[in-house]
Amino acid sequence: MLSGQGEAGLEMLAAQEPYAPSELGWLGLIGRFARHKPLGTFGIAVVLVLSLAAGAAPWLSRYDAEDNFQVANPAYEPGSFQPEEKLDARAGPSWKHWFGTDQFGRDNYARVVWGARRSLGVALGAVLFAIIVGTTIGIVSGYYRGWLDILLQRAMDSIQAFPAMFILLLLVALTESNLVTLSVGLGFVALASVQRIIRSAVLTAREEPHIEAARALGCGPVRMMAVHILPNVAAPIIVVFSIGLGSMILAEAALAFLGLAPVEPPSWGMMLDEGRGYMTDQPSTMLAGGSAITLAVLGFNLAGDALRDFLDPRIRLQ
Amino acid sequence: MQHYIVRRVLLNVVVIFLVISAVFIGLRATPGDFAVNQVASQVTDVHSMDEAVALVRHDLGLDRPILEQYGDFVGDFFRGDLGNSFQTKRPVMAELKDRLAPSVELALLEIVIALVVAVPVGILSAVRQDTWVDYILRFFAIFWLGVPSFFVGVLLLYFLARWVHWSPPTHYQNFFENPWMNLQAMALPAVAGGLAVGAIVMRFLRSQLLEVLHQDYVRTAWAKGLRERAVIMHHALKNALIPVLTVVGLLLATVVSGNVVLETLFNLPGLGLYVVNAIRLDDYPVVQGVVLLVATCLVFVNLLVDVAYAWLDPRIRYG
Repeated sequence: MLSGQGEAGLEMLAAQEPYAPSELGWLGLIGRFARHKPLGTFGIAVVLVLSLAAGAAPWLSRYDAEDNFQVANPAYEPGSFQPEEKLDARAGPSWKHWFGTDQFGRDNYARVVWGARRSLGVALGAVLFAIIVGTTIGIVSGYYRGWLDILLQRAMDSIQAFPAMFILLLLVALTESNLVTLSVGLGFVALASVQRIIRSAVLTAREEPHIEAARALGCGPVRMMAVHILPNVAAPIIVVFSIGLGSMILAEAALAFLGLAPVEPPSWGMMLDEGRGYMTDQPSTMLAGGSAITLAVLGFNLAGDALRDFLDPRIRLQ
Repeated sequence: MQHYIVRRVLLNVVVIFLVISAVFIGLRATPGDFAVNQVASQVTDVHSMDEAVALVRHDLGLDRPILEQYGDFVGDFFRGDLGNSFQTKRPVMAELKDRLAPSVELALLEIVIALVVAVPVGILSAVRQDTWVDYILRFFAIFWLGVPSFFVGVLLLYFLARWVHWSPPTHYQNFFENPWMNLQAMALPAVAGGLAVGAIVMRFLRSQLLEVLHQDYVRTAWAKGLRERAVIMHHALKNALIPVLTVVGLLLATVVSGNVVLETLFNLPGLGLYVVNAIRLDDYPVVQGVVLLVATCLVFVNLLVDVAYAWLDPRIRYG
């Protein structure tokens, strides 16, 4: 779309509508975004739905995630040793169980909704950790340059030398399995890529004339980095935030799929793993878990891509 | 050129040392001594937990002065001694050698599939930019980025089982012993992993090709009246492919990571499955050994990619 056309894109945009930001306001901005980037709008819609599911899980989920549902036992006869009710396991989609049940009779829809809370929570924690630490390292490294830059970059290179999954596996082997360690571990893995992106943005930003002006006015380094450099690298941070959330959800699902993550609250990856054991009988658990992961990652990736294009200074006329 | 190579090699040696040190610190610095306690809980012929912990610490060499530990650790690593597995008591290095073939084969097949899919699709998408062909292809690329490879693998298994009543062989056979069975076992995981990698490569190739196509020398080629095929294949593609090479090299890390899950799913006896089983059995030397080995190999591969990139594109050497 427009992003691939540079100069021509600028002219097209200018020709299409009078570009007066103050006149259009926030609503106009959103409308423009929706028109130019339909995929991105879909992504943001998915993100909003997921956040709603995560936030309002107790009200949206209909049932508890660990409830085992029973159903009348067709083999029951009064006086026989058969129980009156048996586990409603591996049921297909119905009005009672929108996504069916799993092998323990737990409602899949409820587990998907509660799983949203877990996935988003872990991903948010990981991304916030990666962004806070990564931005600090990136800005310090990019602003100071010199030996500090070289040292930090070599350290980051050594982190990136490990394939992400193996760092996570090492972490799982070394620490107790709980969601907080998982979050921090995921964030740690993402750290190196985040700081690389921020650092390259800082390298560009520090050549701006207003930085030189601030320096001439006697601005100290801390204030310089926080007040002058940081706002100029806000755009990559936003994009990293969105796409990072997608990757973190994927990584957490992969670990849960392997059985290396905490069992409660329910995880989509674990649903996929458990579901594939009986998927030829009843694919609903497997499909519920897998589709949830796919939709979430897709949504965050699309939103991040669209945001990146939208925030690209080559297209904006401001 | 030699200057560049020497610089990169020195930098990478530093990185390898940092990698070794990081793994070294890992076991010794995590709060709570979780790994040691996990292993100790499995020791049988002792009278108390403290004895078990002491035994494990001695086995891992944790009761010696830290500098001596570090020296031995680094020395052992460079001599190829990665310790012995707690489960099988055999040297980790020997066991790794057995498990190397399936992983390497899977990685190669995935990259082949990725390139076979991504290069034509990327070229088509770039050349027919902003047409409906482009939109559809880009949509598919984005779609494949979102779907997890293990979900693709599970779906493939499901649909093949339901519709064709076929499932891959459960026993892995070496390619040189039984190529047909080997490919049958490898086909599904290679496709599942390769499509995801292909999506990344396709998007990157498309953006690189678009940049190249807007250059002046391509305009000259069009003006000369060359056919579309000659312009694209002969002039544009070569320049666009160079950064793609780097990306493919970097993607090896992703491929190796993703293979852990695919190997577990399709039961291929490679490095990934080895590591996952080791974690489930609290076999720490194996986990440590595999991570060290894979990280070091990746550093070497990245070094090779850097050198190849500099050799192909002379502008890099002076940067």
